[in-house]
Amino acid sequence: MKEPLYAESFKIRGGDFEHGGEVATRIKSICKELGIRPDLIRRLSIANFEAEMNVIMYADEADLCFQVSTEDVRVVVADRGQGISDIELAMTPGWSTATAEMRARGFGAGLGLPNIRNSVDEFRVDSRPGAGTTLTYVVRIA
Amino acid sequence: MADSELCIDCGECIRWCRHGAVRAATAKPADLKRFKYTVALPALTLYSQFGKDVEPGQVLRALKSLGFDEVYDLSAMCDMHASATDAYLSECRGPWPKISVTCPAVIHLILLRYPDMIENLLPIEPARELAAKLLRRRLAEERGLDPTDIGLFFITPCSAILHSIHSPVGLESSYLDGAFSIAEFYGPLLRAIKALGPVENPPPISARGLLWAMAGGEIAGLRDANTITVAGARDVLRVFDHIEEGKLQAVDFIEAYICPDGCISGPLTVEGRYAARRTIQRIVRRHGQRVGEGSVIPEEKVRALLREHFFDLEEHLQARPLRPLGRNLREAVERRREVQRLLSRLPGKDCAACGAPTCAALAEDVVRGEASLSDCVFVRIEGLLEAAASTKGPGHE
Ligand SMILES: Nc1ncnc2c1ncn2[C@@H]1O[C@H](COP(=O)(O)OP(=O)(O)OP(=O)(O)O)[C@@H](O)[C@H]1O
Ligand SMILES: [Mg+2]
Repeated sequence: MKEPLYAESFKIRGGDFEHGGEVATRIKSICKELGIRPDLIRRLSIANFEAEMNVIMYADEADLCFQVSTEDVRVVVADRGQGISDIELAMTPGWSTATAEMRARGFGAGLGLPNIRNSVDEFRVDSRPGAGTTLTYVVRIA
Repeated sequence: MADSELCIDCGECIRWCRHGAVRAATAKPADLKRFKYTVALPALTLYSQFGKDVEPGQVLRALKSLGFDEVYDLSAMCDMHASATDAYLSECRGPWPKISVTCPAVIHLILLRYPDMIENLLPIEPARELAAKLLRRRLAEERGLDPTDIGLFFITPCSAILHSIHSPVGLESSYLDGAFSIAEFYGPLLRAIKALGPVENPPPISARGLLWAMAGGEIAGLRDANTITVAGARDVLRVFDHIEEGKLQAVDFIEAYICPDGCISGPLTVEGRYAARRTIQRIVRRHGQRVGEGSVIPEEKVRALLREHFFDLEEHLQARPLRPLGRNLREAVERRREVQRLLSRLPGKDCAACGAPTCAALAEDVVRGEASLSDCVFVRIEGLLEAAASTKGPGHE
């Protein structure tokens, strides 16, 4: 990867539905200032939002690290929490362990992770059950 | 001074300036003389300005007495617009939700701040433009007038619509010739309404259309129930952020206004918005039998107009994206750092005394070379204090 010109970290807290989506919105406005193309910002924002909500719903806390180089935007969301034991299953569209309460808020369609995969150019999930999950995704801007 | 490139015509400057320094550039009475035949098309909001007992028919007659050859009630066109919206939504494939085009400030906001949501805008011309298009066509036919001799004037509750007539989006040029504000006509209208008394045969008013004066009114008349109303700049921004994040896709249609209660709370109105809302509700109730029946417009008429693409937005909407901080990523990043650095020297009070709405906006203007840090009163005072302290130093006594 090219050396990042810009990097910033954001904290996301588990269970914090009230501020859900704020990190994604802040990154979006930074990207606009940096002059990144609107369609690329939109794709990145979809991924950021899904990742942020998953931390809020399923983990204790996370650091979202956002890096911009002349070639790409790279995001690493490292959470501490229950982790995912079967990643392939978690990636299956429609599969969800969302509670009734989460579903009542409009989440739990089981489309978050597939959505991220479809929105970005590179995507990987690493997880250690009982320890946490790390999502890494890249949107190319050059 | 506002940056015209960034202005969305929300009208807040007009609302807040006590000295009347910020005024909307409305038409002059002399402008009427340029035309052989003039028509006033009042925003439905005008009916809400004179108390609950004054009928739209009285307002229309009073307006005509101010020197127009004809007046035109927009409620029927809003009614038709609702039918066209219903028809469009039932066939459209997304992206969802669709967003109303009634408030030009909302359109500007999208072109400027949410360019990737342009496809969400309902591709139908606003009712006032459609009315003017139809009316000009009809008058030219019926009265054998040259279309350019017909002067069509909107009576507007806000500067955003006024501006949309002079520099339209989604249209090559407006079908309207100018606008007067509700506020400037208020006094003469009130006198004329009193002098002329009640009307014998009030013209038919569409209750479904009349509701458009208020936030919530546009969706009230739609067949589709999966709709949301949002009003006021802050809430509109919040909801649009959500749409941009891909939330709210389950909603079909959003009615959005920059003003806190829709057009009845426009900056160029006179009556308070709560009283105005009550008045509209009263009038709707008086003409209410028509709401139950749905539209006053025959469905075949709407269908015929749909077939000839009468309602379609005429021009593609062009994004006016915000300027990035720099010409390239490297410069933008550098400047963003500079903005952050400057921000730490500003008081963070967002007092706006420098002319920028927030400290962050001033910092950005400074970095772009369009303002100076000493525009901030607090920075200036600090500078003076430092200067005073240093001249008092030893050796200067
Ligand atoms: N950060 C995470 N930590 C632990 N489990 C996770 C995490 N992210 C996702 N999961 C698990 O993977 C499942 C699928 O996630 P995905 O985001 O695709 O759908 P969802 O969150 O259940 O629903 P939606 O995103 O559509 O609202 C979740 O139900 C959850 O069990
Ligand atoms: Mg999810």
